[in-house]
Amino acid sequence: MKETLFLKNTEAFAESMIRCGIRCHFAYPITPATDVMKYTSRMLPEVGGRMVQMESELAVSNALAGYACAGKLGATSSSGPGMTLMQEAIGFMAAGELPCIMLDAMRVGPGDGDIIGAQSTYYQATRGGGHGDYRVIVLAPSCGQEIAELMPHGIKLALTYLTPVLFVVDGVTCQMTETTTFDEPYDYTADFDTSSWAYTGTADHPKRFLLTGSYTHEQGYEMNERMRRKYVEISENEQMWEQEKVDDAEVLVVAFGIHGRMCKDLVESFRAQGKRVGSIRPITLWPFPNKAFESIPASVKSILVVEMNHGQMVDDVRLAVNGRVPVHFLGKTGGDIPMCTLADMTREASRLLEGE
Amino acid sequence: MQTLADYYGETLKFDKLTSYCPGCGHGIVTRLVAETIESMGIREKTMSVVGIGCGGFSHHYLEVDAIEAIHGRAPATAIGYKVAMPDHVVFTYQGDGDTSAIGLHEIMHAANRGMPITCIMVNNSVFGMTGGQMSPTTIPGQVTTTSTKGRDVHIHGYPLLVPEMMRAMKGVAYLARETVVDVKSINRAAKSIRNAFECQVKGLGFAFVEVISPCPTGLHLSVPDAYAYAAKETLSYFKPQIFKNELEKSDEV
Repeated sequence: MKETLFLKNTEAFAESMIRCGIRCHFAYPITPATDVMKYTSRMLPEVGGRMVQMESELAVSNALAGYACAGKLGATSSSGPGMTLMQEAIGFMAAGELPCIMLDAMRVGPGDGDIIGAQSTYYQATRGGGHGDYRVIVLAPSCGQEIAELMPHGIKLALTYLTPVLFVVDGVTCQMTETTTFDEPYDYTADFDTSSWAYTGTADHPKRFLLTGSYTHEQGYEMNERMRRKYVEISENEQMWEQEKVDDAEVLVVAFGIHGRMCKDLVESFRAQGKRVGSIRPITLWPFPNKAFESIPASVKSILVVEMNHGQMVDDVRLAVNGRVPVHFLGKTGGDIPMCTLADMTREASRLLEGE
Repeated sequence: MQTLADYYGETLKFDKLTSYCPGCGHGIVTRLVAETIESMGIREKTMSVVGIGCGGFSHHYLEVDAIEAIHGRAPATAIGYKVAMPDHVVFTYQGDGDTSAIGLHEIMHAANRGMPITCIMVNNSVFGMTGGQMSPTTIPGQVTTTSTKGRDVHIHGYPLLVPEMMRAMKGVAYLARETVVDVKSINRAAKSIRNAFECQVKGLGFAFVEVISPCPTGLHLSVPDAYAYAAKETLSYFKPQIFKNELEKSDEV
């Protein structure tokens, strides 16, 4: 039976992962992600799971890797600077093909930044903060409801491609409280058989070992090639986005997360005035939804990218558009109101409509 | 005729030469771990989490599931694995650099947490794999590539005594410092390693064994001289002893 709850969106993340079958959450306190671990420490034991509070984000991410080795899907949650500390192990898990689910309640940066919510970790999430050629699947829900809806998909991606899957939600959205309707609990992790690769002792399989540093050159080449082929496959098959009124648009507004959510109102408002504004909201940030931009109509004369940072996703939009249309940027971060308002977005889109 | 494989069973692999340097104490410690696993009959449910450095090679010679954790983080990885597989046996095998420099944070919290995992730290008082640099356990006066006039405690600080730091922690069930510099010591080390695994199987808590070992390459000494140096100089700072043994309250092996 479906259930509608009034929760913070961090709690919606926690409730979603519990309902979808995740039974272990490793975490270290950091604002604003801390609410996730407060929630799971209370709720996971009721379903036979546990929240494991470690001594640092370094320990968190490596414990998560150890948990994943056993063929089980665990989760973690953190915020900007905490995610920075986890990058080494995330690269390790990507290389070792170990799945997990993560939440980055994105904060403003750089350095230790501030606790203000932002979208400052787009580069880190989509490029990888560790070394080497690896990628992490990045999902960017825009509200609690979408977190709940994407969780089964995220689990499927993690266990299909054996890779970390990262939910990025700005800290503002994470702290919002709203109603979210959850599906009946279902263990999506049980749909996947991990026995062919999990490190569960040699009783039922020959020795398995995961090398990180002492593979031979041939093994290293083979590993990197396998990674490359996998990332090509993910790029081809797993792009997700939502779009509004693109077909005849003159100006396209592109935004993810909370700004992407605001685009619906923005487009409706312009359309009510007979002005042809459309929007594209990337849902996967990696793979970036290039396909959404491959067929934009000739009517589009400019694109406005809105972010809660100094311009990060705008690079990916420019790559996807490849010079066919001018791409402009509007961004704001830090301060008491760390984001562009609907008025800011309306003003910039109007200027572009008028050809300024 | 009895072969080595008859004696060590399936745990220790003999199908390739080891990459440990000639005379390295790691060869002995790896064998002791293999003997323990074999004699306890736990091979099929044992997971090895090894560190970065020479100790990271150990799993190449053991027929158990294994992963190489990233620099210093083996204890955290082992904890994650133990959460997932509480009935299995997980041990870390790390050098002194991996354990007491970059990984001091993880090993101390793992000890204090008291979760029943087994951690082996092979202390040869030098960074071996990276070419003989000073480690936190390099002894005063010891010449390394980064303490070329010998470790000066006024400049470099003092050697780190890891088990002494763990001594007061209630989560620690077995705590010992051993060495492999002579046959008598090797026999004692074998018993401590066995106890450290028994502690885990009995669920008593965290178990840690530091094993003082010679590194002929890092010390730039012949094998006999490296063993003599470790026996005299290294052990003068790192005294072998059993600090704690909760097995005595149950059934010590």
